[in-house]
Amino acid sequence: MKILVPFKSVPDPNDATSAGAAVSAPKSVINPFDEIAIEEALRIRERGEATEIAGVTIGAPAVDEQIRAALAMGIDRAIRIDDSRALDPYAVARILRAAVAKETPHVVIMGKQAVDDDSNQVGQMLAGLLSWPQATFVSKIEFLDTKTRARCTRETDAGLEVVEVNLPAIITTDLRLNEPRYVSLPGLIKARRKPIEVLTCDQLGVTVRPLTTVLSVARPAKRAAGTRVESVEELVTKLKQEAKVL
Amino acid sequence: MDFAWSDQQRELLDAVGRFASQQLNYDVIENDRDSVFNHDAWKKCGSFGIQGLPVPTEYGGLGMDPLTTVAALERLGYACKDNGLLFSINAHLWTAVTPLVYNGSEAQKKKYLPGLCNGTLIGGNAMSEPNSGSDAFSLTTTAVKKGSRYILNGSKIFVTNGPVADLLVVFATMDKTRGPEGIAAFLVEKDSPGMNVARKLEKMGVRTSPMAEVFFENCEVPEENLLGKEGGGAFLFTRSMTWERGCILATAVGSMQRLLETCIRYANERKQGGQSIGKFQLVASKIVDMKLRVESSRHMLYHYAWLSSHRKSVYLEAAMTKLHISDCWVKCCEDAIQIHGGYGYMTEYEVERELRDAIASKLYSGTSEIQRNIVASMLGL
Amino acid sequence: MAESLILIEHDREQVKRPALHAITLARQLGGEYALLVLGHGLDGIAASLVSYGASAVVVADDPALAEPLADRYATVIAEAARGCGAKTILGTSSTFSKDVLPRAAALLDAPMVTDVVDIEEMDGSISYRRPINAGSMFAMVKMEGDCRVLTVRATAFEPPAADAAPCPIKRFHLDAASLPNGIQFISREERTSDRPDLTEARVVVSGGRPLKDKETFERLVGGLADALGGAIGATRAAVDAGMAPNDYQIGQTGKIEWYIAIGISGAIQHLAGIKDSRIIVAINKDPDAPIFQMATYALVGDLYQIVPQLIESIRQA
Repeated sequence: MKILVPFKSVPDPNDATSAGAAVSAPKSVINPFDEIAIEEALRIRERGEATEIAGVTIGAPAVDEQIRAALAMGIDRAIRIDDSRALDPYAVARILRAAVAKETPHVVIMGKQAVDDDSNQVGQMLAGLLSWPQATFVSKIEFLDTKTRARCTRETDAGLEVVEVNLPAIITTDLRLNEPRYVSLPGLIKARRKPIEVLTCDQLGVTVRPLTTVLSVARPAKRAAGTRVESVEELVTKLKQEAKVL
Repeated sequence: MDFAWSDQQRELLDAVGRFASQQLNYDVIENDRDSVFNHDAWKKCGSFGIQGLPVPTEYGGLGMDPLTTVAALERLGYACKDNGLLFSINAHLWTAVTPLVYNGSEAQKKKYLPGLCNGTLIGGNAMSEPNSGSDAFSLTTTAVKKGSRYILNGSKIFVTNGPVADLLVVFATMDKTRGPEGIAAFLVEKDSPGMNVARKLEKMGVRTSPMAEVFFENCEVPEENLLGKEGGGAFLFTRSMTWERGCILATAVGSMQRLLETCIRYANERKQGGQSIGKFQLVASKIVDMKLRVESSRHMLYHYAWLSSHRKSVYLEAAMTKLHISDCWVKCCEDAIQIHGGYGYMTEYEVERELRDAIASKLYSGTSEIQRNIVASMLGL
Repeated sequence: MAESLILIEHDREQVKRPALHAITLARQLGGEYALLVLGHGLDGIAASLVSYGASAVVVADDPALAEPLADRYATVIAEAARGCGAKTILGTSSTFSKDVLPRAAALLDAPMVTDVVDIEEMDGSISYRRPINAGSMFAMVKMEGDCRVLTVRATAFEPPAADAAPCPIKRFHLDAASLPNGIQFISREERTSDRPDLTEARVVVSGGRPLKDKETFERLVGGLADALGGAIGATRAAVDAGMAPNDYQIGQTGKIEWYIAIGISGAIQHLAGIKDSRIIVAINKDPDAPIFQMATYALVGDLYQIVPQLIESIRQA
């Protein structure tokens, strides 16, 4: 079984300086939810249920660092679609559709959302474009019937839902699916010998233009500070008399 | 002189930093208080590749050159707050792994290095004895050849990793009358008959690194476990000591860098008398001194490593590096406590522990006094 | 014909109240709007929606839609949108709408924007404000094309008034046999809780990492929430540490009227999520914690002493 894992390079969410603001050379990492997808693909292969894991990402040469990290984790090969434009989820989905047509995977596993954009759309849009089944926010994956179907547990607002999808299908990952392995030094060194294929949208036969434009980005307005209280009694009094919430 | 890292080196160093900061910094305060060795963290380091950094790839290591190795250890020290874990890793690397790489037979290397590199085997050495510390070669543990075995008798103290080690490099004399030339080194596996790893020793600092006294009472060691030659022990020791002196405080340079950044952050955030304490010259001056110490330590470390790569004799530089970094580290820790004021004395702020951990660096791998003697003699005094 | 089509989520018995908040945005956008419900046995639900000022309540009622299978639902939503010529398709953010609406958007060849909290109109075109970076920043975006899809954050919009004259209920005709068959529903397990939902509660009591473990979290944060009849929230650190489930995480839910932060230092994402709250009470032992910069009332001290005392005082109040 061949697994395709699309992943995105995002500013490191754990790096306080890079969150949002444009800082000189913010650090980038593989989108955490995509890392979970890569980990799941690796575990599926370790169980003997997959034979090939390919990764695909869209970006400028700078994202090669994240590609090498994905290769160091253990995927077999990677494709970088050379496009440094600001894309929207629908454009990304359309480009990925072309990548899927080229790679013909049995299953696509990807993060449910990118932590910089938080749109949570690409997987679902890709499934719609391909007319493939989808299972989103998945916290458990099992392959059934000689891998023609996958049973997926989904995390929903109300609790859990179990669905089965015919393959090929799109699966998006929830935080609770697994804890990704860290890149090891031996993995990093092995990764240097793994192939990275660079393709343009033209070579993939896809021309897209984003339909969404970001006009501006801003931090929320600052809030004025309040008062210090010295005891629980004082707090309760103020909540009753001033704030009138008790 | 090219002071730049290659892309590959930078990628490697970043991976070390990310791994350490995300995987190794848990329960440190509790483990330090209770003198608990973090086996789980050790294993993670092993599968990450730390314990095999400088070992040739054919034996399961990563084959890194000295400069990349010390830079990786520096980054490890920066990102990992558990100085005890680092101390155990260093003891393993420089007192067990390195002697095996340089003096082991093919059979010995094939047998032990893969496990030592991937973290499944923990190594250490047993040199010091109750009556021989700085005067290392006056040891009294004896080894006598009997048939196909060596029989060891004696006791060793300050055996780092003793309580958890799978393999110890033990130094014993086969002929006291020959002085240093009578000493031999042996690879002794844990649970060897006649070997007793006794009480765990409680320490002032690096408490998460386990240490014990080890007794040998007619301990049997198979003859194929002689490391190097009979009578070659002193030479083996001196050679691996040179590596040890140069490299063992690479992690300390990283720790100092972390302390420096912690102090800068604190000095900017902490306000007294209406302004950040960093604006007070007495505080700023201490931080400047810390910066100078970090930089000079780093330069000495890299220069030593570069010289090692180029196979030049580094006996002098190793001693100077160890002496200088240990002095700098202790002073940085003292300054860090001072800058943090009362908070610097509190366990929960993790500043006081750094000083307790650092003080040992003036004692192990040859005390600072021994290092000074070495430098003095190399200067022709 | 309607300018907007609003997908209304229900739990098979009744409408989910936050789902109605999308109607408020549709009203702001102007023009006629129709409400759309999918499922099976929807008479009661459809009837409960007639007074929200829609031009119609469109009902896609069929056994094939008994479970919210994304491929079937997206197909029906896209057909219904085309059928009524809607320019904007909306829903309130939820795992349900996030599962089906993007797929529907692709079927409609339309762009989509998630978690809209506000709109601005300039020179006849509309831009949408939405949170990014886990809510630490907000982006203004605009969309092109004849058709667009969006989800709204429930807490950013008031519930709509239901005082309009009743509108017609229209049955949507679908060919069930031609619906996709790639997904099968197997089972669901729903969390039952007496506590109000994060998005609907008047007061949220939230805890951070210092709460140590699940039991302590439940005892102190849960205890205070229960004493006040409020909901429970948690920081990302607490969720990651397993002290609270994912959906308790603050920073993803928006406006909360009264917010109590226990042992929370105030990371940037967290602060962004609560900054619109009218009252913020912060309890933390670190006097320099960033959260104190925006707390209405700040109490510095040991939460293990303070929270039990607070629970007692409130029970007696």
